[in-house]
Amino acid sequence: MNPLLSRRQLLLTSVAAPFANAQSIGIGGPVGHKILVIGAGLAGLNAALILEQWGFDVEVVEARDRVGGRLWTLDHMPGAPEGGGNVIGSGYGRVIYRAHELDVPLRTPPSALPSDYQIGGQRIPRSDWAVADANPLPDDWREIHPERLLAKLNEDNPLLKTRAWHHVDLMAQDQPADVGLRSLGFPESAIRLINANNSYGNHLSDTSLMGLYRVLGEFGRLSGPALAVTEVTQGNMRLPEAMANRLTRPVSLNEPVLRIRQTPAGIKATLTSGRTLDADAAVIAVPLPALGQIALDLPPDRRALLKSVAYHKVVQLHCIVDEPFWEAAGWSGSWWTDGQLGRIFTRPIPDSTRHNMTIWINGDDCDRLNALDADACTDMILSALWKLVPEAKGVTSVGQLVRWTTDPFAGGAWALWKPGQAGSAHDAIRAPTGRLFFAGEHTAEAYRGMEAAMESGERAALEVLRLLA
Amino acid sequence: MRRAAGHRIGLGLIVCLLDTAPMAEPLSGEALFAVACEACHSLGPEPDHRIGPPLGGLHGRKAAGVRGFGYSPALQASGWVWTLPTTVAWLSDPDAAIPNNAMNYVNALSAEETQRLAEWLLAQP
Ligand SMILES: Cc1cc2nc3c(=O)[nH]c(=O)nc-3n(C[C@H](O)[C@H](O)[C@H](O)COP(=O)(O)OP(=O)(O)OC[C@H]3O[C@@H](n4cnc5c(N)ncnc54)[C@H](O)[C@@H]3O)c2cc1C
Ligand code: HEC
Repeated sequence: MNPLLSRRQLLLTSVAAPFANAQSIGIGGPVGHKILVIGAGLAGLNAALILEQWGFDVEVVEARDRVGGRLWTLDHMPGAPEGGGNVIGSGYGRVIYRAHELDVPLRTPPSALPSDYQIGGQRIPRSDWAVADANPLPDDWREIHPERLLAKLNEDNPLLKTRAWHHVDLMAQDQPADVGLRSLGFPESAIRLINANNSYGNHLSDTSLMGLYRVLGEFGRLSGPALAVTEVTQGNMRLPEAMANRLTRPVSLNEPVLRIRQTPAGIKATLTSGRTLDADAAVIAVPLPALGQIALDLPPDRRALLKSVAYHKVVQLHCIVDEPFWEAAGWSGSWWTDGQLGRIFTRPIPDSTRHNMTIWINGDDCDRLNALDADACTDMILSALWKLVPEAKGVTSVGQLVRWTTDPFAGGAWALWKPGQAGSAHDAIRAPTGRLFFAGEHTAEAYRGMEAAMESGERAALEVLRLLA
Repeated sequence: MRRAAGHRIGLGLIVCLLDTAPMAEPLSGEALFAVACEACHSLGPEPDHRIGPPLGGLHGRKAAGVRGFGYSPALQASGWVWTLPTTVAWLSDPDAAIPNNAMNYVNALSAEETQRLAEWLLAQP
């Protein structure tokens, strides 16, 4: 039996019996209202599950031929690496709850191999970092590994004391991260290294310093077991799949929404197929670049605003390595570079001698690659790889190229707020207009990533309930 | 069910005639808990798979009072006791209430909703 429905039944029964004032219970009312959810990522699916639980008739339409959106398990590759969201934090309450409720097991991920460095074209073993000639940092910074440089921000981080990361007062002090780091005394060489693999902006000059404080604050608050992460045992996409399977109506796949009109009595959506759907309200749970493609009656300033939010650029080349070529040469297996290849994460495939190797390129370095067709892009990455680790040639094969920026239904990996932008834009971008409600990772308050998507779906469901329950 | 169907027809009429958005009944404390808290908190007595402590029998309980749950040092040292004013203060702005707590929650509820939720929650055994 469907536990969600049985739970709803329970709530409905409880309306009849123990509660004196059934009017204020707020359940039972929505039965018969139809809600259209656009986008079958975690945000849309979580909103859909909650609304269905409250008795709404929910239909989810999805542009792709699969659910999950920016969760994308590459099931066709050995080891099924993740092309989208990877790790589930210990504090992801809603993700963990849904996984448990839907019997989707989580596990501790097999760890990636440690990384060595390639800086200024020179390879440096991890253990030699502090003393290597190619380490560009000044004396009192040399011991800090490149991936740990940003952690210095936690020596005095305003967002360790509060989670109100986009509060106007804090945002008033926001600045471009390169300027901010300089004024905090970070040497130029450290700023260059941070820029090389910055996940929170496409370039440090358009990265929000407060955004960096936010991320570092999240880590700074955690210690001990709370730092542990998990992943879905059979691949992260199993979670959105299980969520979709729990819905009464199957998710309509391959159905991009083209246009949404509000009418006095509800909304009318037109799909690319020509089909139209009427509903009492819609939850729009698509990333902003995809939202920008949907014809929607939004005030011009709102439309300009949603177009002004940047998205993080990520290109990944997922490879399979047949033999651990790094062992003979004494390398660790993963690399952190300040060059074209960004970072290379190598991870053993359980019960196998093979490894998954993901080349992960961030930010503006992706521009050149995104301008090429897929084959040329793959070739460019591979030729850089053979240059960095010639040993890899012959034992490494390509499984999948993943480009989030050129994906029309994503437009990037995650939303990036420009310095100062979130102060007003964050609230404005998710405010309901009439019967349109907005969800998605970019609209969350407390979390980032997968849990942000879940949190936002919950909030949008609450807004619908306020209007229609 | 019958009430719900009638409600819908009524709404449709009002909307057609007056071209206004419908006004819903305020959400109950129970409904608010189910939507905004239940993923992280059960109402049982024992910690379970959820990442937050169980909230059954909260009224008069000392903060960080459930044995076996791994609370933050901040909540343990807070000296708080859960009553209506403390619960409302906690939910409205957890960071201001007890800095360095481990509940990553930004309140999406209105002041009235927060109050209604807290009243309902504190009445649960
Ligand atoms: C490379 C990468 C690594 C990541 N790593 C992590 C991580 O380690 N941990 C973490 O927590 N998070 C991570 N994330 C982020 C996380 O994956 C996302 O925040 C989350 O999955 C977003 O969910 P969402 O529902 O908001 O959006 P999406 O998952 O993007 O869902 C939106 C859905 O809307 C659909 N859609 C778009 N346009 C239309 C249309 N016109 N009509 C119908 N449907 C449409 C899309 O196809 C998509 O399915 C990562 C993301 C990427 C890309
Ligand atoms: C994302 C998960 C999450 C959500 C959502 C959440 N909480 Fe919490 N809550 C926690 C965690 C974790 C703690 C423990 C905090 C600590 O140790 O500092 C906590 C602690 C509490 C406590 C203190 C309990 C005690 O034993 O002292 C109360 C009360 C509480 N939450 C109420 C709520 C209510 C009411 C809601 C819904 C409006 C809510 N929480 C939503 C995770 C959550």
